[in-house]
Amino acid sequence: MVAGDGARRRGGHDAGARAVTRYVLRRLAFAVPTLFGILLVVFLLVHLAPGSPVSGAPDAGRRLTGRAAEEMRRQYGLDRPLTERFGMWISRVSRLDLGESFVDHRPVAVRIREALPYSLLLNGAALALALGIAVPLGVAAGGRPEGAFDRISGAALFALYCMPSFWVALLLQALFAVRLRWLPLLGVASDAAPGGAAGVLDRLAHLALPATCLAYATLAFVARLVRSGIVEASAGPYVLAARARGVSRRRALWAHALPNALLPLVTLLGLLLPALLSGSVIVEKIFAWPGLGRLYFDSILSRDYPVILALSLLSAAATLAATLASDVAAAAADPRVRDGTVP
Amino acid sequence: MTAAALPAARRPTAPLPASGRVALAAVVALWIVAALSPLFSDRAQAIRLDERLLPPSSSHPFGTDDLGRDLLARVIAATPISLVIGLVSAAVSLGIGFAVGATAGFFGGAVDLVLSRLIEVVLCFPVLFLLLALAALLPPSPLTVVLAIGVTAWPGDARYARAEVLRIRQLDYARAAAAAGASTPRILLRHVLPNALSPLIVSAAFGVGWAILAEAALSFLGVGLPSPAVSWGGILAAAPAYIDEAWWLALFPGIALFVTVSAYNLLAEGLRAATTSQGSNP
Amino acid sequence: MTRFVPAQLRPAAFVAALRIRAAPFAAALAIAFGFGLGSSACRQEPTAASVTPALAPTAVAPHAELGFTDESREPVGGEGGTVVRRLTGEPATLDPILQSTGAEAEVLQYVARSLFDFDAGLHLVPGLAQGLDVSADGLDYTIRLRPEAVWEDGSPVTARDAVFTIRRVMDPRVAAPVFKPLFEDCTGVTVVNDRTFKVTFREPYAFRPMAFVLPVVSERRYAGRGSDAKAQARRPLSDGPYRVASWSAQQSIVLERNPHAWGQAGHFDRVVFRIVPDNTTGYRLLASGDVDEDELDSSLKRRAASDPDYAKCCRTVEFYNLDYNYIALNNRSPLFSDARVRRALTMVLDRAAIVRGLYAGSARIISGPWAPDSPAYDPQVEPLPFSPAAAARLLDEAGWVDSDGDGRRDRGGKPFEFDLLVSAGSEVGRQIDEMLASELNRIGVTARVRAVEWAAFVERVDAGTFDAASLGWSAVDPNPDPYFYWDSSQCAPKGLNSGCYSNPAADTLMRAARREMDPKKRLDLFHRLHRLFRDEAPAIFVVNATRKYGFTRRVRGLTTSPLGLFGIWPGPLAWWPATAPAGGAATTPGPAR
Repeated sequence: MVAGDGARRRGGHDAGARAVTRYVLRRLAFAVPTLFGILLVVFLLVHLAPGSPVSGAPDAGRRLTGRAAEEMRRQYGLDRPLTERFGMWISRVSRLDLGESFVDHRPVAVRIREALPYSLLLNGAALALALGIAVPLGVAAGGRPEGAFDRISGAALFALYCMPSFWVALLLQALFAVRLRWLPLLGVASDAAPGGAAGVLDRLAHLALPATCLAYATLAFVARLVRSGIVEASAGPYVLAARARGVSRRRALWAHALPNALLPLVTLLGLLLPALLSGSVIVEKIFAWPGLGRLYFDSILSRDYPVILALSLLSAAATLAATLASDVAAAAADPRVRDGTVP
Repeated sequence: MTAAALPAARRPTAPLPASGRVALAAVVALWIVAALSPLFSDRAQAIRLDERLLPPSSSHPFGTDDLGRDLLARVIAATPISLVIGLVSAAVSLGIGFAVGATAGFFGGAVDLVLSRLIEVVLCFPVLFLLLALAALLPPSPLTVVLAIGVTAWPGDARYARAEVLRIRQLDYARAAAAAGASTPRILLRHVLPNALSPLIVSAAFGVGWAILAEAALSFLGVGLPSPAVSWGGILAAAPAYIDEAWWLALFPGIALFVTVSAYNLLAEGLRAATTSQGSNP
Repeated sequence: MTRFVPAQLRPAAFVAALRIRAAPFAAALAIAFGFGLGSSACRQEPTAASVTPALAPTAVAPHAELGFTDESREPVGGEGGTVVRRLTGEPATLDPILQSTGAEAEVLQYVARSLFDFDAGLHLVPGLAQGLDVSADGLDYTIRLRPEAVWEDGSPVTARDAVFTIRRVMDPRVAAPVFKPLFEDCTGVTVVNDRTFKVTFREPYAFRPMAFVLPVVSERRYAGRGSDAKAQARRPLSDGPYRVASWSAQQSIVLERNPHAWGQAGHFDRVVFRIVPDNTTGYRLLASGDVDEDELDSSLKRRAASDPDYAKCCRTVEFYNLDYNYIALNNRSPLFSDARVRRALTMVLDRAAIVRGLYAGSARIISGPWAPDSPAYDPQVEPLPFSPAAAARLLDEAGWVDSDGDGRRDRGGKPFEFDLLVSAGSEVGRQIDEMLASELNRIGVTARVRAVEWAAFVERVDAGTFDAASLGWSAVDPNPDPYFYWDSSQCAPKGLNSGCYSNPAADTLMRAARREMDPKKRLDLFHRLHRLFRDEAPAIFVVNATRKYGFTRRVRGLTTSPLGLFGIWPGPLAWWPATAPAGGAATTPGPAR
């Protein structure tokens, strides 16, 4: 321990809180140019890529060509210089106007609003599934390190982590939807959707496979994290003291070791969410889930610039917010982070 | 005692654990298969429309695909390109990442500030969009894929590198060298870099696994390698259309991916265990 | 999947065999058009409004193994209920003028009547309009609307609406990809009276009347600019038998009966469109009775044929339409400027094996830029044979030989290698390309198959910056006029002749044919053109495949045509429920196909 740190820490709780606030403000101040930078690059890439909104969607039987296409490009403002278009878009966005989709001319905000609940449902279910299984798994494994359960679950989790999500999706479909017919192949709900309890069950059945595909990688990661956290915490003085006091092993694990083990998880949670959102593109495509991921992919294919830009903005902002939140949590816990001496 | 007299501290390494050795053997085996794959290229390209979508049998151990080509031959023929793309992408990512991260961590101050912002920009960038945009922007080729993956993956390496360099800077021997008046380049060369080598190798091994998956994902989405150079992801891309009738199209290329990625990840884990088992303060 | 690589666009003007009864110097009389397609395609007698078919190439042999379905003569055995249909994609808009996809057309057929329609025999029949007069010089078209045509709010469909529609189509600010090219040389459109309007064109064109298979929109809907036009895209004002009841994004569109419907009504009370992009799921829904109609591809048709559950519930309907696949070649490239080379490429592709292997027999080889059921197709023109040996000889003749012994052909120091582009989503296109590449490889030519993402693919095709590209032609009308796609004046990027095929003899024939008002002479010109295209091989013409649909047995009254099941009148409006709720007679199911 270096001499300087102690002096800082002696300031006590107030000084700590002030330092955190200063850290947050500093990070926020930097977030703005970061966001701007991202938007600039996205804008450039999108407009430099070959093809244009005039090419229409892949399933269009007819598209505009020749003079009519030229006119349409002019209508979309695609013949103006990039800097002008970027400026216009930035000023629009700062007024919270995301523009209109080129594909169906509806406000981008409406299209996003339609897709958002499905994304939230899918990602929420995946997160719940991942955490719900990972935490108990990690505790059980960490409770008896190097035991049979730990070894087997460790190997299984490692294997899960190495599987590509689209492969898992295809295999699950082939097994549960094709061979066994237990679950539907894709979609959100069946037609003539029954109401009430049967309807909820139907929706859950449709949710099962996509949520599983999205969840298993996170599950593997979190479970291992919890396990190592438990192992570390169990060796620590706090837990040993509790055991010495006569607290049962199980209680010691769950009530004492786990909270300490979960701390790094909380800081990482912020990073998990954006990862889920981007990972869901493939899953949404395979299972025809009408969420934001699929909207993003389709927009890129049909060069629907306003939607691409809006979704990129949202994604970048969400990731920034999440990294900021997790960094703040780390900063609150560890003064060295605030000072920038440890990342 | 001058700075020159201080011994260059090196992180001692333990032998690779058993799992790591198995993984290493697997990786070597994969590369041997890759080297032998030209022997299978003819069989992999033989189109036979009357043998479409046959299930696995003795003459076609993995079955046939939608053009009647033997799937086993195709999976073997796709090995070199998948491995090479993975390796080169990881190298690109590592190169950029370590350069940026180490510089940020070592020099600190304004340099660190600017570079950290750069890392953050790319980290927060919508990955899929970048991949798709690059794949669409540039003509389809292995180089494009390598660039796309390298450019999206380097922030992870950069952050890791920065963290490691910061940590090493704090170590006693580095501080002692600085206190003894050693110049910056000397500290960098004799103390920081040799100790950064091990995390670099570990990072590389993890990176290869990730890069192979990323390339497979790109090919699966239809924006990866152009034919005839087909990778495992490209073979998998045809599977969803036939999921009802030809499950083998989905199973076997995926197993190849899984085995390869597992081998590299296991190797990386082993390397990490070997290089950090002695603790961080020699 | 039979999803073709989406076509180069081009509904040029329409074919019609005009029988102008008026003498050239007399005022034009009202006409209904006849357009005969030949006995193979037309099992329906011309309707009362159409004149004797003037273009009837009886030389077209009937295709005995498929034929066309015509259940219009059966007595209607039920009314009411719901029919559930499947859409492969979600409509981007239901504004009739802005439509561009097949899904949009399927829905719009129920809610947006056109001035004229095609019937199953591809004759033009009256729709919103009851008649068309053409001036002697062929430039002015005067159209009279039916007095009984009304919108769903009861107001009449007026000439003002029609004029507004055409002006809107021509407006450069409006993206109307299907209709805009039809009115490119329109010089003026005016209202004559409440129900009559006149459209003037710059020059006469044999197929001009087809331009009036055009839906009409209500002027009032757009008058309050902004919100109304948006509403029109989601819930268009209907002048057809149905109107849009609801549209839940990505899920379904529900149509209900239009209370102010005029003319022929449908036999179902509700039409539900389910949006199911995945073919396999569509098949499942059909087999379980959750949808009544579903399009099948070759492999699903095979599955259906061997599935006992399917045989109990459903039947397959299969027919040839006017779509076809081809591989465009860049005639400006030194590789493909020689017709011998292009012929060689055609002869190296085993199209019979493609028909057998990829389509399970449900396709026909074509020898020119038309499907065999197109009026311009000359069945006497045989396709080039499959002969890699003859192809090799042709290449030798053209100077492409292996001069340096590396196994690859070359000429003047340049090796014979090129990129063969295919759109990333096209399974069939990719498979055909890989076959071609494999065969070419054997005779020393290197073709690299490149799957390109859709927007980038389209850009290269439209700009003409490619060597070879796998394309598909999807017909929205029976117009066989090849001018816009193969005439030398229409080269990309300005025009649609993506490969820039340039041949003065072909140009002469094409330009003469589109002016020729005499149907027999025009047919003769097309036949000569067909022979020329076969010999010149401006592109590699591959196959014309069938369309296959599965229907549950409770839907009857189907009629198919070379334009398909939809896009004809009355088409789906004539379907009726076989098991009617109120005890209608259940008919015996037709043979499963």
